[in-house]
Amino acid sequence: MERHSHETGTQPRHAWRLITIVVLSQTLLAAGLLFTGIFYTHQRLLSTLDAGMQGRAMSVAALVRYTEDASGNVYFDETLMPSSVDPAHPDLFAVWTERSGILAHSANWPAGLELPPTGPDHWKFKFNHVHYRGLRVSRVPVLDREEGKTFRPQSLTIVYASPMIQLDDQVRQAGISIALSSLLLLGATVLLALWGIRRGLLPLQELAAEAALVSTHHWELHLPNDAQQIKELRPLTQSMTTMLARLQHSFDQQREFLGNAAHELKTPVAVLKSTLQSLLQKPRASEEYREGLEHSLEDLERLEQLLQWMLRLARAEQWAHGALRRDLQVIDITATCEEAVERIRHLAKSRNATVHLSKNGPVPFRADPEDLQLVWINLLENAVRYSPEGGSVEVAVVRENSGPARIIFEDHGAGILAADLPHVFERFYRGDPSRTRATGGFGLGLAIAKALVEAYGGTITADSTPGKGTRMTVELPVG
Amino acid sequence: MRVLIIEDEPRLAENIARSLRESAGYAVDIAHDGQEGLFLAESSEYDVVLLDLMLPQMDGMQLLGRIRKSGQRTPVLVVTARDDKESVVALLNAGADDYLTKPFDLGELLARTKALIRRGKGQPSPVLTVGDLELNTVNRSVRRGGRPITLTAMEYRVLEYLAHRPRAVVSKTELLEHLYDYNWEKFSNVIEVYISGLRRKLDDGSSRQLIHTLRGQGYILQDGTSQP
Repeated sequence: MERHSHETGTQPRHAWRLITIVVLSQTLLAAGLLFTGIFYTHQRLLSTLDAGMQGRAMSVAALVRYTEDASGNVYFDETLMPSSVDPAHPDLFAVWTERSGILAHSANWPAGLELPPTGPDHWKFKFNHVHYRGLRVSRVPVLDREEGKTFRPQSLTIVYASPMIQLDDQVRQAGISIALSSLLLLGATVLLALWGIRRGLLPLQELAAEAALVSTHHWELHLPNDAQQIKELRPLTQSMTTMLARLQHSFDQQREFLGNAAHELKTPVAVLKSTLQSLLQKPRASEEYREGLEHSLEDLERLEQLLQWMLRLARAEQWAHGALRRDLQVIDITATCEEAVERIRHLAKSRNATVHLSKNGPVPFRADPEDLQLVWINLLENAVRYSPEGGSVEVAVVRENSGPARIIFEDHGAGILAADLPHVFERFYRGDPSRTRATGGFGLGLAIAKALVEAYGGTITADSTPGKGTRMTVELPVG
Repeated sequence: MRVLIIEDEPRLAENIARSLRESAGYAVDIAHDGQEGLFLAESSEYDVVLLDLMLPQMDGMQLLGRIRKSGQRTPVLVVTARDDKESVVALLNAGADDYLTKPFDLGELLARTKALIRRGKGQPSPVLTVGDLELNTVNRSVRRGGRPITLTAMEYRVLEYLAHRPRAVVSKTELLEHLYDYNWEKFSNVIEVYISGLRRKLDDGSSRQLIHTLRGQGYILQDGTSQP
């Protein structure tokens, strides 16, 4: 329960992070858009205003007329002046002539208005708490020309100023509308992203729910239709399926091994327990106690041996599963074979069997010599045990110029039945249980040999002709 | 009572046999493989069979099937190392009467064996009564009318067998077969000796006879007249 809530707790957090990123970047974008929008609008409106002011200044210039005499004096015909656009904040203007200074100005012309000495034709100033934009046009000729009059023409300087209230309003409105639409878009994006993520995660959630149903008792993963149809999920579902298959296989193997191991351990324990219990059933002669204790000790030793074999197998299989990460020296395969043959001599002698090793020179290989010897001894023990009394076992180390080294063990015993042959390397497998007790094996030697050989990247195979003998071939990737 | 042990682990078989002989006074035969076990089970009379499942020659399960197919009613107690549900169900369904998993307690094995023998002969109680005779199979004690009776081991075994089959005619051969192991024929003359000993100890000082002889047929343990 706790795990479940933890899982559902982390998933939305990832989704939220994504949404936050989207929202942040969109906010940034919107801010940029707002800024550019305001700037652009402002510029456009300003140039429109400027153009209008230019026109008005020109129309002011057009109202400057020459007097009817030939003095060349001018006057300003105020009656023709158009009314201001914004009556609450009327435009300002003033006209100067070259000769006589200020000619005329609007009624609201502030006396102390400071004009920028030179420099920009446009400037900004504050009048009556209102921002105005001023325009100064210099050297404007008097437009009033009468035919036939000749006198020195005059040039004018006109200052015209308009309030910027309208412009500011318009810019503000443009900004607000851009900001509002951005906000709307942002909201829509968040909703869409949320929906999309939830929608996109739905197949994953279904898949997770199905995966949660998988257990050691129920290995089957039912893939929901959505998860199967979404192409992006295919690598996930595929690897989940293969992973489960691998897990199930190794789990089944382990379970089988555990079952077999338990079975193999229970019998000697049962023998031991029954010996001691029957010994305690009634008072007995010391001879009987002695015999009982000796039997118990024998059984205990067998149990100990079995445990050792099982541990060896566990170790070998651990290496086989990729844990073989040791610093290994280059050793000679032939030498390990010689050593193993030497160590098996005692058993061979007790069965009157002979072991012959044919070799041609050293075969270098990177391995732990103990591991290889264990493999050879297991194979040799098997060969000697299943040989008839006085039989012979041949061992050959073969190294061709290229390719793997082959180590062959051949006996001339009863052989293995074709039905048993595929199973001889399985743990605890014994073709005929009756032979086991006589030969004293646990059915683990070949499994250990296989695990070790495979840990070194090699292979082991068994060929047998019933009645003629068995040949075990180990191939190791040398060179 | 006579028990067949089919077990390939010689020491385990020997320990069980010793325990059954010493604690229960049973006759015991041992078979070390399935084939021998099947032969003994089919050719001799046993009161219970103790069967191991992992056997050379013939698998215990197979053997069980063969015994049951031939119509043998002998109770079978399976001794197995497998305790998973599937195999327990499978072996009970194959005709086993009870099972015990290794490693087991010899006391439990003994108790289960006794219970199976009892049930095989239709006796639910471990204390068998015939008239005023009371035979306790648990501590192997005998009383008649509340008076304890001391019997020799062999006398007890004869009476125990008869008490498991009250009011039935039990032939001398049947007694021999169920009280001795495979070489029972050597003992053919001793049964009369035990019967007369039992008669003396049980019926002395009592007006009602318990052990009756049917000439040429055998013996009956019952309260009262000799006619069944």
